[in-house]
Amino acid sequence: MNKGDTIIKFNKIKKIYHMGTQTLEALSGVSLQIAAGEFVTFMGPSGSGKSTLMNIIGCLDTPTEGEYFLEGKNVAGLTFDQLASIRNKMMGFVFQNFNLLPYATAWENIELPMLFNGKNTKKRKERITELLNEVGLLKWKEHRPSELSGGQQQRIALARALANDPPIILADEPTGNLDSKSGIEIMELLSRLWKKGHTIIMVTHDDRLASHSQRIIHLFDGREADA
Amino acid sequence: MNLTLLRFFSHEFKKRRKKSALITFALFWGSLSILLLLAFGKGMSAQFRISFSGLGQDLIMISGGQTSKLYQGLPKGRRIRLYPGDIQYLKERIPEIALIAPESYNNWPVSANRKEINRTIHGTTVEFAQMRTQIPQMGGRFLNASDVKDGRKVAFIGWKVGTDLFGTENPVGQKIVINRIPFTVIGVLKKKLQDSMYQGPDADQIYLPYSAFTQIDSQLHIDRIHIQPRETRLSMFIEERVQTLLGKKYRFDPTDRYALSIWNTIDNAKEAGAIFMGIEVFLGIMGALTLLIGAVGVTNLMYAVIKERKQEIGIKMALGAKRRVIIQQFILETLFIFVKGTFWGLVTAFNIIHLVQLVPINYDGFGIEGYLLRPVFSFNTFLIFLVIVGTLVFMSGIFPAVRASRLNPIDSLRYE
Repeated sequence: MNKGDTIIKFNKIKKIYHMGTQTLEALSGVSLQIAAGEFVTFMGPSGSGKSTLMNIIGCLDTPTEGEYFLEGKNVAGLTFDQLASIRNKMMGFVFQNFNLLPYATAWENIELPMLFNGKNTKKRKERITELLNEVGLLKWKEHRPSELSGGQQQRIALARALANDPPIILADEPTGNLDSKSGIEIMELLSRLWKKGHTIIMVTHDDRLASHSQRIIHLFDGREADA
Repeated sequence: MNLTLLRFFSHEFKKRRKKSALITFALFWGSLSILLLLAFGKGMSAQFRISFSGLGQDLIMISGGQTSKLYQGLPKGRRIRLYPGDIQYLKERIPEIALIAPESYNNWPVSANRKEINRTIHGTTVEFAQMRTQIPQMGGRFLNASDVKDGRKVAFIGWKVGTDLFGTENPVGQKIVINRIPFTVIGVLKKKLQDSMYQGPDADQIYLPYSAFTQIDSQLHIDRIHIQPRETRLSMFIEERVQTLLGKKYRFDPTDRYALSIWNTIDNAKEAGAIFMGIEVFLGIMGALTLLIGAVGVTNLMYAVIKERKQEIGIKMALGAKRRVIIQQFILETLFIFVKGTFWGLVTAFNIIHLVQLVPINYDGFGIEGYLLRPVFSFNTFLIFLVIVGTLVFMSGIFPAVRASRLNPIDSLRYE
């Protein structure tokens, strides 16, 4: 896929949650397109549907209605394992609360996505070393998350997101749990990745962070605010 | 399965060590009982076979009876007796016979060492030893062909006769007097388990060459013919042939079941074997049920583990773990718990079994301990155990594993 081609296309995506007798429409017909190599930020108050949108983009969740084309292919109807494979190869997740495995070392955490697609030991070793160098944490490789600062943990999470070199990075409030200095470091890393050609999709409340991106999409009550 | 993934599981497993202690104990207990029950069941049937072969190995024993049917104008109720000539007669006509020996017996006073006891004295031939498991103790022997041919005054005695007459002294080479005729002891029967007998246990018997026996006893007939077939499957055929041939010779209806008394130990052993097999299976099932309780505990634990690790499962799913990976992880963890619990059960059972085997058996008073004190820990026992444990691992692991693999990634990620 070339830079500028449409990598993500939403066509009237709806997501409805059923909770007992109540139904909640988290997304009510969102249509949007994101080009490969774009840096897009979703903003909006809580409950506006940004996280749901991110989850559907990341194939962690499926839409109730509408079509989602990823690299031109309709994602609807794919099996759990096919979606798992897409998450593994095409998506890199960065979460607000890092979501590292607590008992595993920094090295092992980065290794995990590569274990799920059977990369051999030599390739894994090379890639992890490269990534740890990139986030500047090579000498922390044997440390567990509890022995690292928040900023360091998020850098490890970012390295893990990049393990299989996915085209799309999904960052859900990536600096939400960090001090401002660490937050800036993470944003710099994300910017660097964008410049390298990754498509970055971020969710944030923070206008200053959003200013790093090319395009801001405001969401309100499950739809685009300017739509 | 990747080695690194295995390493991950071991991390996860270590965290749960304390929680799984009770379940480990249940598995230990279950595996201990299943192994002990299997070993004791196997030991019982093995001991039964040994004590059954204490009487003899694949034996057909024939003695005279009384006719119950009219035959060729002869009345019923006639006494049928066997004679020494029948041995040669049957041997020549039934080639399926491997070994054949006569036996006659009578009670006579036996004295030695200024002691006198009453014992059953038997006259027989060399083949008797092999058929009736007459194994001599070190330094002695059973009757040989020359003893029988020359009518030598020699005796092979049961171990109890030896101690009754000579105490702790070695009876071999000593003289004993039977019905006022002196005999030299040439061998003492080695101790054995014996649960079937006709004139009391072999420990109490004295055996003479048939030709010597006829010199102290005036009876002309023989009391019993012992036959061992070439193959066990031929036993029924031989029985019928004997019935026909002796029927012709002594003029009785070959279908008359009372004319001869036939004791076929091969048939008996088959039947008893089936009973003991049944007991073994029953004990195995009992053990498996005990282990099942442990397995239910493991299933419960695994369900709790899913809840505890929901977020972690979500993370793995987000990173691209397929269902198979999640299932493997849970099955593997179930296997770990099982291995840990059952390993110590295995070690303990192995040791208990070997300790019990050290307890000596009293061969003189025949009791239940003869059956219980020789449990067998065989490779088969281990194999059966593995199959049962394997089935339980699968059964107790698969349901939690499938449930874990069907978790929604979003819900799991949010779970705290």
